[in-house]
Amino acid sequence: MQGCRNMSKKGGKKMISVQGLSHAYKRGGPFAVKDATFSIAKGEILGFLGPSGAGKSTTQGVLTGLLPLQTGEVQVAGFNMRHPERALYNRLGVSFEQSNVYAKLTALENLRFYARLFDVPTRDPMELLRLVGLNEVAGKRTGEFSKGMKHRLTFARSLINNPSMWFLDEPTTGLDPAIAHEIKGIIKEQNTRGVTVFLSTHNMQVADELCHRVAFIVDGEIKLIDSPRNLKLQYGERVVEVEYRDDGVLKRERFSLSDPEEQAELKLRLASGQIETMHTKEATLEEIFITVTGRGLS
Amino acid sequence: MKKTWALFLQDGKLSLKGIYFYMEVFIAVVFVAVMLFLVPENFTRTQTLHVLLELSEPARSGVVQQLGATGAQVVLSSSRGELEQAMQRDRMSGGLVVSTVGDKLKFELVLQGHESARIRNLQQASLEGALLARQPHFPSTIRTTTLRPDAARLSDRQGILPVYLTMNVALMGLFIIAAYVFLDKEEGVIKALAVSPLATWQYLASKMLLMLCLGVVSTLVVVVLLDGTANLLWLMALVVASNLFGSALGLLIASYFDSMVQAMEVLYTAMIVLMFAAYSYLMPAFSPWWVRLLPTYSMLIAFRETLLVGGDMQLVFMTILMLLLLGAASFYAANRRYQRTIAA
Repeated sequence: MQGCRNMSKKGGKKMISVQGLSHAYKRGGPFAVKDATFSIAKGEILGFLGPSGAGKSTTQGVLTGLLPLQTGEVQVAGFNMRHPERALYNRLGVSFEQSNVYAKLTALENLRFYARLFDVPTRDPMELLRLVGLNEVAGKRTGEFSKGMKHRLTFARSLINNPSMWFLDEPTTGLDPAIAHEIKGIIKEQNTRGVTVFLSTHNMQVADELCHRVAFIVDGEIKLIDSPRNLKLQYGERVVEVEYRDDGVLKRERFSLSDPEEQAELKLRLASGQIETMHTKEATLEEIFITVTGRGLS
Repeated sequence: MKKTWALFLQDGKLSLKGIYFYMEVFIAVVFVAVMLFLVPENFTRTQTLHVLLELSEPARSGVVQQLGATGAQVVLSSSRGELEQAMQRDRMSGGLVVSTVGDKLKFELVLQGHESARIRNLQQASLEGALLARQPHFPSTIRTTTLRPDAARLSDRQGILPVYLTMNVALMGLFIIAAYVFLDKEEGVIKALAVSPLATWQYLASKMLLMLCLGVVSTLVVVVLLDGTANLLWLMALVVASNLFGSALGLLIASYFDSMVQAMEVLYTAMIVLMFAAYSYLMPAFSPWWVRLLPTYSMLIAFRETLLVGGDMQLVFMTILMLLLLGAASFYAANRRYQRTIAA
């Protein structure tokens, strides 16, 4: 996946193009999104990262047509979002942070009903339920589902029409690690098939693992957009931490890879054969986020 | 149309699992049961008349004979005290004391006190008229003619049907359709529908279609059992138009609110205002111009015409047309509003 993450998407055909997008919930009120400009290439995964209330959901709302486009120009999958045509939604998949399925219907009934709303060939509902591990409870009313199960069903539903543009809002929130791992695997697999993904999250590990590029958004403003690798190279300190034994005592030392002197010391330490553990200590996306925005993610 | 149909079937399935469908059927069944077993075909309005005769024979027998000929339910009292006590026990009854002054009969009408001046004068005039008519060689100059001698009238029981149809078929949809939309908002499924190829108007139309089915079923149950099938096709056409109007209005009102609790006040107010027309329908003497402007006024009159043998179908047709136009305008406005606010 590392190779995939580093794959350059710049210069590819644009799936989403946003120019000067601003949105306020009240006329003349504070802007939830201010003058946002970015694009997403076909087949790219862009992570929208920011704390709660940063403007992630508002941006996604405008991109999916749930919120009206007030200011700016937005194109999604070739459709102008000023007056989006319903045909656009045959190409879109949207997985919401808050699960929203019919509580009185079974999981299978929910997917079968939703499939009938599309004008394009749809996927087999049972296959999707199997994909997210809900095939055993396909005939159970979703009102009896746990929060995590509903979340997986909402996620599965967003794939029913084989979308080429996929919006995911906090796709792994509230899921246990094993299920979250499976969900991430599905996202990667869809992406290798060419699906473009717009992923809103405040989980930096998810973003780091999945996204080709990430955008940091705070107070409605995009502060930065780049690939996780470039960000780490630009903002992280290239350090190696080693643990070794000296006269039977466990010691720990850090060596900067940017400093020639420390590089030489590291070589000597390696040659001594006393090293027990060695880790590169690159900066995490969360640390970079704090450095760039001056704000935490929670 | 395929999508609207899919959503309609979906909503139908959900409504069978919810309470609103059963509530509508329950109301229809209760209404029919009350009408059939508790409400008489026609109300009788015979008033009991308590009479004290302070007369000696043969005048006494003569008056008793004449009172018997009026058809009133006459109860003779033996004293003034007994007459007043009897009237207190039956507050709808009236009293009459007949005595003599010299060689002439003297009549005293005894009333309860709740009668209006109009009723008081009417009773006095009726008594005087009855006495005059019994005078030998009394020349009657009153002639009665009828503009529509063939005009049919509904039984008292059937006369209530238009009020039921207006309230339960046209205006109940106003509440129920709003409840369905708010339920979708509460569950969040409205957002999922908003990011599907389903158009807003298709979503709204499927809800209206469901309301229409509920309205048609409950109407058929009621009119068949209560013998209101004189012009069944016209009646059903009017039910369709009324139901669509009520549902579209409900959608429009609901579009201004986020929850049923918020919308309740306005929905109730709208229903109460629209039901003012029922007062004018039941008491035609109260028909101010603003009540006659309410669409429900025309609706009630048109429902009555469809129940009558030989009813005025031109009036029914015009009412259907008016309701469809108002419904279409409400639907258009609701669609415009929901396009902007459906997922907010």
